[in-house]
Amino acid sequence: MTYELTIEPMGATLEIEEGQTILDAALRAGIYIPNACGHGLCGTCKVQVLDGEIEHGQASSFALMDFERDEGMTLACCATLNSDVTIEAEIEEDTDAEQIPVRDFPGTVSRVVDLTPTIKGVFIELDEPIHFQAGQYIQFVVPGKGIERAFSLANAPSSLSSTAKEIEINVRIVAGGEGTTYIHNQLKVGDGVTVKGPYGRFFVHQSARKPLVFMAGGSGLSSPRSMILDLLNNGWDLPITLIYGQRNRAELYYHDEFVALAATHQNFRYIPALSNEPAESDWGGYRGYVHDAATATYPDGFVGNQAYLCGPPLMIDACINALMQGRLFEDDIYFEKFISAADAQQVRSPLFRKI
Amino acid sequence: MDMKATKKKLGIKERYAHMTRGLGWEPTYQSADAVFPYDKYEGIKIHDWDKWVDPFRLTMDAYWKYQGEKDRKLYAVIEAFAQNNGHLNITDARYLSAIKLFWQGVSPLENYVVQGFARAGRHFRGEASRVACQMQAVDELRHYQTQAHSISNYNKYYNGFHSQRHMWDRVWYLSVPKSFGEDALTSGPFEFLIAISFSFEYVLTNLLFVPFMSGAAYNGDMSTVTFGFSAQSDESRHMTLGIEAIKFLLEQDPANVPIVQGWIDKWFWRGSKVLALVGMMMDYMLPKRVMSWKEAWEIYAEENGGALFRDLARYGIRPPKGWADACEAKDHLSHQVWLLFYEYGGAAAFHTWSLTDEELDWLSAKYPDSFDKYYRPRLEFLRDKHARGERVYQGTLPTLCTTCQIPLCFTEPGDPTKISHRETVHKDEKYVFCSDHCQEIFGNEPEKFVQSWLPVNQIYQGNCFNPDVDPTAPDFDPLKAVLEYFKYNLGRDNGDFEGSEDQRNFAMWRGQASKN
Repeated sequence: MTYELTIEPMGATLEIEEGQTILDAALRAGIYIPNACGHGLCGTCKVQVLDGEIEHGQASSFALMDFERDEGMTLACCATLNSDVTIEAEIEEDTDAEQIPVRDFPGTVSRVVDLTPTIKGVFIELDEPIHFQAGQYIQFVVPGKGIERAFSLANAPSSLSSTAKEIEINVRIVAGGEGTTYIHNQLKVGDGVTVKGPYGRFFVHQSARKPLVFMAGGSGLSSPRSMILDLLNNGWDLPITLIYGQRNRAELYYHDEFVALAATHQNFRYIPALSNEPAESDWGGYRGYVHDAATATYPDGFVGNQAYLCGPPLMIDACINALMQGRLFEDDIYFEKFISAADAQQVRSPLFRKI
Repeated sequence: MDMKATKKKLGIKERYAHMTRGLGWEPTYQSADAVFPYDKYEGIKIHDWDKWVDPFRLTMDAYWKYQGEKDRKLYAVIEAFAQNNGHLNITDARYLSAIKLFWQGVSPLENYVVQGFARAGRHFRGEASRVACQMQAVDELRHYQTQAHSISNYNKYYNGFHSQRHMWDRVWYLSVPKSFGEDALTSGPFEFLIAISFSFEYVLTNLLFVPFMSGAAYNGDMSTVTFGFSAQSDESRHMTLGIEAIKFLLEQDPANVPIVQGWIDKWFWRGSKVLALVGMMMDYMLPKRVMSWKEAWEIYAEENGGALFRDLARYGIRPPKGWADACEAKDHLSHQVWLLFYEYGGAAAFHTWSLTDEELDWLSAKYPDSFDKYYRPRLEFLRDKHARGERVYQGTLPTLCTTCQIPLCFTEPGDPTKISHRETVHKDEKYVFCSDHCQEIFGNEPEKFVQSWLPVNQIYQGNCFNPDVDPTAPDFDPLKAVLEYFKYNLGRDNGDFEGSEDQRNFAMWRGQASKN
C-alpha cells in the first residue's frame, strides 16, 4: 500500500510506502528537510500537516508538545501516513524552480548515433512535446523488460516554449546492465517507446545572476549540455565555463560542438580535460582530472561563481573538495544527488545539508 | 469592483525571517567598534553577518510556550517521584555517587554556560547570532534549575548533595570542570563558541549526556531520566548552533581557518579530560551498567567524530592534535581515574568501594587488552587489603596538571606503566603537566594559565583552611582542616561506601517499604 505525500511550499509530490517515514521519503526524493537526531527526540524535523492523517510514531513528548499535536505538527523522522497527506516543511522556496507535473510521454525512436565507442545518443520523437527545465531527467521504460532507467535530457528545451518534441538521451553501456545493454544492442529507429518525466531538482539558479562553472565527466555531460545550450539560446550574458573531462580523445563526445560554441559566444569558455590520453598523442588541451583543471583555471579561487557538477560520485567528491579549497561553499554548489538506502546507512556528520 | 489580490502564502522560513531579521541597527552615537569591542581582537574576520544561519528558528513567544509545557511535564514527574519515594526504586545506593558527581561537577558547568552565552549574546555584531546565544543562555539556565529541582529530592535523604556552590569553588576534583568552564568564559566570544557550542556541545556532548541519562534509566532513576529528556530536546538545537557556528567562521574568511584549528585542538583535548569523570562513572559507579566507556568513545567520538572531521577536511580542518592520544586512552582512562578516586576516597564528597567479582569480570570482558594486565590485579590487591581492615587511603597530596588540574594519574602514550609527567619553566617558575597537549595549551597562553588556582598548591600555601583554625596548635590535622574548609560532613560525605550512612539508610528505608 502506498500513499501520496505532497510537500509544500514547493508542491512536490512523491510516493511513500506504508511504514516509511516522511523524512526518509523526502530525503530519498532529494528534498532536504532539516533534521538531526533521526529518532524523535530533538524536534529539528518538525513539519506542519495541512491535510490527511498521520501517525506520530516514536516522537518524544518533549520534542513534540501536546499543543503542537493539536495544531497539526509532527516530526518527519517518525511520522508515517494513514492516507494521502500534504505537509508544509521549512524548505526555502526556490524562485528558479518550476513545478512540472510528471506524465507519460509515448514516442518513437527517431535516430541512434554512436557518440563514442561506449556511448550512444538516442533521439526520441514524442507524440506530444514535453515541458522541462534544462538539467532534469526522464525515466525510460525499457520495452518488454518491465524496468525503467533514468537518463538526463541532453537537449535544451526550445527557447520560446521551454518544450521539446524530439528529446535526446546519452546512454553509456554498463557491463551486465540490463537496460543499457538493451538500448545499445536492440533498440532501433522506428521502435515505439515511452518515457516518464520530467524529474529532478537540478536546474540553473539564474536569479542569483552569478557567473557559472559547469564541471562534467564521464556520461554526466547531458545535464550541463542542456543547461548551457538553454542559457546561450536565451541570451544569458554572464560568463559560462564548461570544464569537461573524459579518459581519452575518443571518449570526448560533443567536443567540436563546444569548440564552435566558444568561438561564437564571447561569454562561453570551454576547457576539455583528458585523464588518460596517450602521452604521445597530439592532444593540446589539459591533461588530468576535471577538478585539477578547474583549480588551474581559477588560480584565485571560485568566489562569486556558482558551480554545477555532473558525473561519477568520485568526480563529484573531488570537485567539491577543489571548490571548497577555492572558497566556494555549499550555497553555491549544485548537483543531482540520489540518496540510496546504502547512503542512508552510512555514518554522516550533519555538517553539510546537501553536499 | 475592487479585486483583492490573493497574496501568496509565506513559507515557514520566510515568516520566521520577517519576525526576527532586521532587529539590529547601525549605531550613530558611538562607533560599532566601540559598541562591540570584543569581536575583532581574536583575529576572526567576518564580512557578512547575514550569512549566519539561525538554527533556533523560534520566536520568543513560541519559545516560552514550548519550555512551559516541557516544565509542566517534568515537574509532574519530579512531584510524583518525591511523593512515591522514588529514591527507593534505584538499583542500589552506590548509584547515588554517580548523581552526586553530576550534581557537584556538571550542573555548575551549566550555570557557567549561561553566563558565557549571555556574554556572547551581548558581544556579537550580528543580531541573529546574538538572538541564538541569548536563547541558549536561557535554555542552560533552565537546565541548571531543572537539575537542581530533580536532584534536590535526593538531598533530603542522602549525604554529599548539600553544599554544591561552596564546594565548586574549593574542592580539588571540582576544579577540573570549574577551570574548564572559566577558561571558556574568559576567552573571546568566538573562542567561547568553538569551545562550548562546537567542541563540547557538538563533538563531545553525547559522551556526557547519553551515559548519564541511560545510566539513570538503567538504574531506576526516573527523575533524572525525565530531566534528561527535557534537556535533550534543547540539546540538539545547541549542537546545531555549534555546527552553524563553525561553518560560518570557516566560510567567512580563509584567515579564520588556522585560528579555528587551534581552538579545536585545545578544546577537544580539554573536553576529553573533563570527560574522564564520566568514564569512571560509567565503568565503576553504575550498579547496572549501560556500556563501557571504551564502547561509548568508539561510537560517539571515533565513529561520529570521525565522520565530522572527514567533512571538515574540505575546509582545510584536520582532526584535533590530541585525537590519537585520546583514542589510545580509551583502554585506560576510566580505570586510572577510579583508582585515583578510590585512593583519595577520604577526600571526595561521594563514596568509592571495592568491586565484586562479577563487576571485575564485566570489566575484564569489556577491556580485554588492558584490564587484566594492568588494573584487575591492583583492584584485587586493594580489595584484599580492605577485607583485612586496611582500607587504603592516600594521606599525601598529588601533583596537579597546571592546565586540566587533574592529578598526574595518566600514563604515557604507549606505556601504561609509566606516569606521564611534563614540565615547563616560564619566567623562572616551574609548571607541571599531565601530557604533551596540556603542556602545549599552556605554552600558547602562559599569561592565562599561570593564574590557575590549583587546589593542592593552594592547600600547601595555607589558603584552604577556615579563618579560625590555628595551624600552630599541637593537635592540628591539616587534612581534616582542609575537608572542613570544603564543608564536608566528615565520615558521612566521604570514605568507603561499605559502612556508610547512605548504605545503612537506603537498606533500612527500602526494608521498611517492602517488609513489615
